[in-house]
Parts: sequence; structure tokens; C-alpha cells
Amino acid sequence: MQVTPRLVPACLALGLVAGWASPATAQFLADDPPRTGTLLRWFTDSDRVSVRSLSGHWNTPLRSASGLNIDFNNERVVVPAISAPPGTQEAVDAITTASRPIAGNAFEDFVKVRNEVQGDYGRGPMEMSYYVSSESDYLAQQVGGRWNKDIRPDARNLSLGGSWSWDAIQPLRDDDTQTSAASKNTLHWNAVVTDVVSPTTMLRYGVEYNLVSGLQHSPYRNVYAGGTHVPERHPEHRQRRDAFLRVTHALPNRSSVKLQYRFYNDDWGVNSHELGTRLSQYITRGMSVRWEYRWYTQTPADFFRTEYVDVNGINGYRTGDYRLGDLASHLFGGAVRMDLDALAPTHNVMRRLSLWLDVERYFNSNHYSANVVETGVDFRFP
Amino acid sequence: MTRSRTLLVSLAWLALACACTGCATVPVRAWQRERLVDPIVAFRAEAREDARKMKTWEAREGSTGGIGGAGGGCACK
Repeated sequence: MQVTPRLVPACLALGLVAGWASPATAQFLADDPPRTGTLLRWFTDSDRVSVRSLSGHWNTPLRSASGLNIDFNNERVVVPAISAPPGTQEAVDAITTASRPIAGNAFEDFVKVRNEVQGDYGRGPMEMSYYVSSESDYLAQQVGGRWNKDIRPDARNLSLGGSWSWDAIQPLRDDDTQTSAASKNTLHWNAVVTDVVSPTTMLRYGVEYNLVSGLQHSPYRNVYAGGTHVPERHPEHRQRRDAFLRVTHALPNRSSVKLQYRFYNDDWGVNSHELGTRLSQYITRGMSVRWEYRWYTQTPADFFRTEYVDVNGINGYRTGDYRLGDLASHLFGGAVRMDLDALAPTHNVMRRLSLWLDVERYFNSNHYSANVVETGVDFRFP
Repeated sequence: MTRSRTLLVSLAWLALACACTGCATVPVRAWQRERLVDPIVAFRAEAREDARKMKTWEAREGSTGGIGGAGGGCACK
């Protein structure tokens, strides 16, 4: 099945009209208290890539049971210079297989900035969103819609969502690839059920489906095949689907446990399993700590090989992307959150502030590791 | 594992979850939900964080999803 320009607006319009015509059974954005917040995030990995993110959000209820949410994010990505001595075979290999553009600047850091903005408007059981992300070689836009309804009052909620995204890709100048301008489109659907099982337990489960078409490989990367190097080439179509289950349970002694499982499958041959758990505990009034662990494993794509004996790869496709290979990963994380109203319940500003810090350590079977540190502040308006 | 068989397995898991919870859920009134809306318990409190993390790891692994597009309600109306 291919994503066609007619199919997309038809699906979205049907969903939006259906939702708009339904009784206002749930008003999520409208129910949120007005608040704003900002977040600073640092990502560094074993390849010495670093990402600094500065983001913010603001949401407010509006008239007629509606609400508005705005998110923005500014990211600065630094991909380090090739570290091998110039002229060596190691440097040539690194330049050839790099996933960054190299135009006579292999021994300089590559820096790019990405800006993202997302707006969500909710009215009654409906939410609509628009997202745009801009960087030097990539412009992504997305429209989405979501509808939800309590299908068993006080016990079960059903949410149906969909989105359509269209990306314009304009590769930068690169010495050893000549990829021309391209595009990528994604059609997404999801169905999510939330069950309240008891006064202390909730379940959430659902399915998601993505239909992707267009350029799906790095426009800058080459692959060694048949004794030479040729540009990477992935299929232009991909069907991606997953089913997931989440459980949250309030434990005695002001603590909670969350468990999640996800199974993912696509028509490139990648199957993956993900298991995660979070354990949270209040250590004093308004202050909580959280421990997190995530385990992930996947099978390789059908056309993934560590070496290609022929320049045509497998059925004409070849990849140098380790994300399409056999992979297993672990993530450990810890977080602390503090609501300052516990410290200053009568102070007009302090009592509306929350601070938090989150630290994560990730590593995978490809000898790759990463650290993520997030810190943020939220302010609740009167 | 073939594609269709894999899909069937995932749907079977989903159906099983639906069947189990369909038997188990009972109405939980608003005044009984104090624990469920606590920020350390509620799904919603971590929705933005989950979306951010999914984006980070999908750029370093071969899969995506698991948060329902940050969708999902609270069955509380």
C-alpha cells in the first residue's frame, strides 16, 4: 500500500469531522491548568556527538471547553571532526562512510541548528496539532488529529489518532555523494485504550501503524560493496507497526511502579521488543525520586550485511546504518522532582514552581554509549 | 518469523490484554482516584517526557512507537 495524496486528507478529514460532531466527553487540553515551563537537555555519546536542547512549553485553557498548547525546541548538534590523521586509510574510511556532509571540511566539527514548534488545539473530545521542524538540510511538517471517548464510564477510554507528515530534504554539498533534493511522507494511525482497573491500577494498551514513503537513507553515507564504495540505498517504502502495553500501579508508602512492553515489526524485517520499568518514591512532601530501566533488542533488516560482496547489495539495497543491524541496548536512569510549594506554601511564586533533574546512561551492543542530562522548571499560573 | 505471523502474535497479545482487562475493570469513581492522578502514578504526567525520549532513541535504534502518539485518556468523564 502506498501513501497517496488523496488517501491522507480523506482519512484525516473523516477523523476530524467525526470527532467534532461527537459530544464533549473528554476535554484534555481544556482541563489542564495553565502552566509554562522550560527544559535544558544535554546529550553526549561515545562518538563525541553532542546535542544541546533548550525547549519550552505553554498551555492555557480557552473558552468553550477548549485549550491551547505551544511547544518549542531549539537544538544545537555538534558532529565532531574526523579524528584520524589526514591521508591515512583510516581517515579515508571515516570520510567515506560518514553520515554528515563533508565538503573539504572533514577535519572540522559539523554544527547544525534545529528549531521545532508544535501547537495543539483541543476542543471537547478532539485535539488537532501542527508541527514544524527546520534545519539546514531538512524541513519537516506534520498535521495531526486525535479523538477520544469514555466507552465505559469511569472505567475505559478509547483514543484514536492520526497524522500526516511531509518532509523536504535538501542535502548539503558533499564531496563523495550527489543526492538531489528529495522528500519523505509518513501517514500514522494509532488506537489507544486506557483502563482503570482499580483505585490504584491503570492499564494502557494500543496499536500504531506508520506508512513511510520517500528518502529513508542518509544522503551523505557510502557503503563498501563489491570492493568499492557506493552510496547507501534503502527501500523507499516502509510499513512500521507496533503494539504496546503499559501498567501503572500505586504502591503503599507513597510509591509507584510502572511497567511497559512494546513489540515492533516492519516490512524491512526488523522485529523488536522493548521492556521498561520505572519505580518512583516520595522521600518527603513534594519531593520524589525515580529509578528507571529499559531493555531493548531487535533483529536486523533483511538487506543489512556487515559486508556486501556485490555492488548491488541485497536486491539493490545496501546500508551502512548500524540501527538496521542486530542490536540490544540497556538504559539506566535516575530522576528527582521537587514541588516547591512543600517548602514555601505561602510564597506566591515559589509555591507554583516545580524543579526536576533527570540523568540517563544508555549503552548498546554496537559499542555505543550515551549520557543524557535534563533539568527543567515548571510554573503553574494562578 | 514471517511478517504475517509476527503481526498475528502482536494482535494476539493485544486481544489477550483486551480480554483480561475487560473482565477486570470496574467503575472507579472520581473520589476514588486520588492515587491515580498523583504525578508519580499518572500516565499523563510523563507523556511529554515519553515523547521526547522516544524521539531520542528512535534516532539510534531501528524501531519507533510505543506511546500512541502521546494519546490516551483517563476514563474519568
